[in-house]
Amino acid sequence: MNKIPTICPYCGCGCGLYLHVEDGNLTGVSPIRSHPVNKGTLCVKGWNSFEFIQHHERLKYPLIKVNGEFKRASWGEAIALIASKLTGIKRSYRPDSIAIMSSAKCTNEENYLMMKFARAVIGTNNIDHCARLCHSSTVGGLAETFGSGAMTNSISEIVSAKVLFVIGSNTTEQHPMIGMHMLDAVNRGAILIVADPRKTQISDFAHIHLRHRCGTDVVLLDSIMNVIINEGFVDIPFIRRRTENFDAFEKVILRYPPDVAEKITGVSSQDIKKAARIYAIEKRAMLFYSMGITQHITGVDNVHACANLCMLTAHIGQPMTGLNPLRGQNNVQGACDMGALPDVYSGYQKVSESDIKKKFEHLWRRRLPSRPGLTLTEMFDSILDGKIKAMYIMGENPLMSDPDVSHVKEALKKLEFLVVQDIFMSETAEFAHVVLPAATFAEKDGTFTNTERRVQKIRQAIEPVGESMPDWKIICALSKKMGYNMEYRATHEIMEEVALITPSYRGILHHRLDSNFGLQWPCHDLNHQGTPFLHRKKFTKGLGTFIPVDYIPPAEETDKRFPFLLTTGRIYFRYHTATMCQRTSTLEREYPECYAEINPKDADSLGIKGNSMMRVSSRRGSIIVRAQVTDKVPEGTIFIPFHFREASANLLTNPAVDPSAKIPEYKVCAVKIELVESKRDQKD
Amino acid sequence: MSRIAEIYLPSKAKVIDVIEMTPDSKLFMVMPEMPFKYKPGQFVMFSLWGVGEVPISIASTFGVQKHIELCVRRVGHVTSAIHRLKTGDDIGIRGPFGNAFPITNARGKDTLFVAGGVGIAPLRYLINEVIKNKKDFRRIELIYGSRNPSEILFMDDINSWQKKGINVVLTVDRKDKDWRGNTGIVTEHLNKAKVSFKDAHAFICGPSVMIKAVMQDISQLGMYEENIFTTLESHMKCGVGKCGHCYADGKYICIDGPVFSYREIRQYNLNCTP
Amino acid sequence: MNKGMVLEKSKLSYWLRQLRKEMSLIGPMRGENSDIVFKTVENIHEIVLDCPASIPSPKEFLFPQKEKMFRYSKDGVENLRGNKGRLIFGVRSCDISAITLLDRFYGGKFVDDYYMSRRNNTIFISIGCNNPDITCFCIGLGSGPFLSSGFDIQLSDLGDRYLVEIGSKHGLEIIKDFIHLFSRPKKLDYDDQYEAILSSQARFEKRINLENARQKILSGQVNDSFWEVVAQRCFECGGCVYECPLCTCFNVIDRPYSPTDGVRLRVWDTCLFKGFTKMAGNIWPAEKKIMRTKRWYFHKLIYYPEQFGKFGCVGCGRCTITCPGRIDMATIASKIDMGDRRRKGGGG
Repeated sequence: MNKIPTICPYCGCGCGLYLHVEDGNLTGVSPIRSHPVNKGTLCVKGWNSFEFIQHHERLKYPLIKVNGEFKRASWGEAIALIASKLTGIKRSYRPDSIAIMSSAKCTNEENYLMMKFARAVIGTNNIDHCARLCHSSTVGGLAETFGSGAMTNSISEIVSAKVLFVIGSNTTEQHPMIGMHMLDAVNRGAILIVADPRKTQISDFAHIHLRHRCGTDVVLLDSIMNVIINEGFVDIPFIRRRTENFDAFEKVILRYPPDVAEKITGVSSQDIKKAARIYAIEKRAMLFYSMGITQHITGVDNVHACANLCMLTAHIGQPMTGLNPLRGQNNVQGACDMGALPDVYSGYQKVSESDIKKKFEHLWRRRLPSRPGLTLTEMFDSILDGKIKAMYIMGENPLMSDPDVSHVKEALKKLEFLVVQDIFMSETAEFAHVVLPAATFAEKDGTFTNTERRVQKIRQAIEPVGESMPDWKIICALSKKMGYNMEYRATHEIMEEVALITPSYRGILHHRLDSNFGLQWPCHDLNHQGTPFLHRKKFTKGLGTFIPVDYIPPAEETDKRFPFLLTTGRIYFRYHTATMCQRTSTLEREYPECYAEINPKDADSLGIKGNSMMRVSSRRGSIIVRAQVTDKVPEGTIFIPFHFREASANLLTNPAVDPSAKIPEYKVCAVKIELVESKRDQKD
Repeated sequence: MSRIAEIYLPSKAKVIDVIEMTPDSKLFMVMPEMPFKYKPGQFVMFSLWGVGEVPISIASTFGVQKHIELCVRRVGHVTSAIHRLKTGDDIGIRGPFGNAFPITNARGKDTLFVAGGVGIAPLRYLINEVIKNKKDFRRIELIYGSRNPSEILFMDDINSWQKKGINVVLTVDRKDKDWRGNTGIVTEHLNKAKVSFKDAHAFICGPSVMIKAVMQDISQLGMYEENIFTTLESHMKCGVGKCGHCYADGKYICIDGPVFSYREIRQYNLNCTP
Repeated sequence: MNKGMVLEKSKLSYWLRQLRKEMSLIGPMRGENSDIVFKTVENIHEIVLDCPASIPSPKEFLFPQKEKMFRYSKDGVENLRGNKGRLIFGVRSCDISAITLLDRFYGGKFVDDYYMSRRNNTIFISIGCNNPDITCFCIGLGSGPFLSSGFDIQLSDLGDRYLVEIGSKHGLEIIKDFIHLFSRPKKLDYDDQYEAILSSQARFEKRINLENARQKILSGQVNDSFWEVVAQRCFECGGCVYECPLCTCFNVIDRPYSPTDGVRLRVWDTCLFKGFTKMAGNIWPAEKKIMRTKRWYFHKLIYYPEQFGKFGCVGCGRCTITCPGRIDMATIASKIDMGDRRRKGGGG
């Protein structure tokens, strides 16, 4: 029996765990007690993260589709076919007719190689990943204000904070171990302000719960800043010394006094004032946000508003004081850091800047494209427009995760060539021409970067099942077949290349990550001990920029035909498109089917009782779900988790996107609800 | 070291016949490779390879024939898979498990059976047993409710019971054009039982809501709580008091039950209304 | 039994090395940073004694988190029961006390052959705790820091030597071939052990009175509003159950490799999930979180004493470390106990 320390594959907390191995079998999991994030705890998904790894449904060998059916193939055949198809498509059209989806579930090394593959081997910047759907507004929005789109503080600082302001994050369910630190802080006397239309576990502990209408975050935040300005809580020296564009910003803020905000958000002006005063007065105040802020057509505006609030009160650049976007996937931070994005190389170095491009061309010995590529949300439109002919998807499942999935399905069908590299036959993989079996986190080495920028090592515990291979080895093999040699004997060699060319990762090498649970970037050299909090003396970009934001209503508002607001999200026992957790017995059992939360008053008016089936329809589609009548959701709003294949909430969601970040508006669309009469008697 | 019994290992059994009883209930005739003795009220763990295991109470009478009969209502994942079984299919069986209906103390007294829907199946053996020793008991009555006339199970048995002198009251929730008998739920017909409630024993089986209502009503009619028995259902994985799923308030449904008296149900606050 | 011997510390590794030839040796080793984990001992000098509690408890060696039960195929059923001989060294007293209770639970009328087969092939060398962890509270429960029975072998650290007590046939077996390593104990050795016990007992920071908590619950002094608050803090992670040396629940799942072949597994399960009691036909007997949190405490504080005459808790303190909602046994039991003092005469 051996116990291999590694990192949990689920969320961005990046908890440390041991995988228990006996005779090549995984027999269990236990938490790392001394880990700074989880401190001997795990959430239910972490505790059960061993079960899917050796599941019988794992993809065990490459599959090639012949006459509509998958046939087992050798690695040699599969790689040769992909290489010849991609080369052919690149020649007969152009490199930009190929699009690549990298993965926030894969390691930094793999994301780096995938972006190198896209740019150096294929010759396109059409590479993106699911961060587009969760925090692209953060990456873009904070780059403009602070110069760096990541959590400014560390998770272990939370417990010593005095005020926690959590907006649009169901923390205890979606980042459970961060939620734990928050509750510990509350136990120690911190004041907790939660802004969320829904009642959640964390809101139960809030001293102030602001239940604003979905999509009115800008108004809520602007009015809080209005109170802060009017009541004189502004940190003027800080604004003078470290920020710019305050005057233009102030003009806009003055348009949002609390009584105006009350009408739009539904939050009483008293509560707005109270929250503003508490947040402004205390120095050790941390602001947290997540999908509730980012997944709107105004996602970037929302992020700007959060950043403005921090600068206005000088709540930035100190320990226990800052702005903290909670990243979703285990390595979504890392996938962004590694440049699996259409406009940047690793370390957010812009593809459009010729000096940087030259640097990469020199290292990679290839001419690189300079125009930014397509974002994930644009890729599917471009397939339908005939511009994209082939797609390579590594460890993502857009057929479940993207908005308006019928549109995605249509696009996937139209592709001339689709490769999916995954651990299970996902909904998306069904449409592929070639499916490649990848190894899970337990079967490979590498690093993940968690939401607090901590680069941590994952370690191989067992041999890959069947013929599956780590993603980085697959990319290397394919690249070689396409005439570009990628020779790495192990993942630490890839990291050496990353460090060489990425300033914020310069001091991050595998051997330095063995003790003390990794390093937090930026880490400038081999002696640098990492950065627990950002923007200490100055912002990454120099001066912090106030960006005034005005209220723009959601793209789709309720009307007579579609009188309810639908907001989507996740549940604690499931994760994303459920590829892993639906293969975990205790997780799957907890929520065997999709449901919708509906307020008792709304349910009454529609004749819906608990457990009734109801049809929820939007302009794009319709699903049938079981009703859960609860006051967790406010009147006029329903909530549906998006994890379920049979009732995919993303058949309903609006593909309208934020104009700059291209993030879809998952959090608001208009729907109607009808009671579905049950065929069977409701006996018993 | 002494050999330990392999309590979790199902033994092989073959489905030798399947009878469709109602749209959602089937009776499976199952021949175990290793025959076993069982008592009225006991259950087996019915194992389907690749799907799982569920507890099913035995509907047949020991000693009558070699095979056992299991009445399965299609309600979930495993029972749906069981419903797809055909004659000749192999299954796994473990058991018998659980206690049995206590009839010793009922001797010399009136005996009342109340069944609803498939709930007749676990009582079938018990009724046969009581009839076999009819002289030891006083009045024997059965009140049996079904959703509609076509869903009355084991009609042949019921006819033969009636011939042997037990008083049967049948009732349906919804009658059809040929139905001339009683309508309504069983509780509306409890007063038709000519038993002396103060001195009678009752055995009840059916949907949980019905069980609860009948137990309440007959205890109000004067029957002692310790003389009223029913059998409880629960999520179960082992059948032998180890997996913990059926554990409630200090009792394991699988080994302390599934048969409990109304007194125990009230004392331990057992959950018969899931 | 309980015969005493004395072993000089310098001879310990020789003894263990000899024993390792017969069976695989598992012991407390360094994990990440200051962590201690039980795993196969490659280098005997890497064993860390006098360490904080391991996570999870050594029950994993008798009842693993995931265990293959049997393989089924056209040819029938093949039991995959594990029966590897193992020597587990350095286990704490509380964990031995728990295993004594587990033996009774998995034994009884129906014997859990998976547990028992492992158990019969496992020998434990436990060690009395000279330095209890801050989370430990075995002292109020008679399950530590030193035991007078229930162990195979108990070591007491007396500075330069161990007092070695033999508590079972199993224990005797691993001593008798190496008797030349041990010497007869003198009165001084027992006196020193007594000193060690006293000084360890004085070091406990937590004194938790589960009996008071039990009495308060039984006499109806703890109402549902108390449990509501507890439930509200529950993260439903299952950690308390997974780590508890006395939690025994499991789920059974099938892994079909083909329509006729496959494996049946069991994995740890917890009563804190609503799916734990779910029944077919969308019936959820324990849908409310309060029902489930209460169940866990009631099982340990009320039903365990009824069934076994002992609490379902040995005071190992693991749930204190692993509960993200801070509603572990020590916290809740002392809240129940103290709560009354604060609202004297108030009642529920």
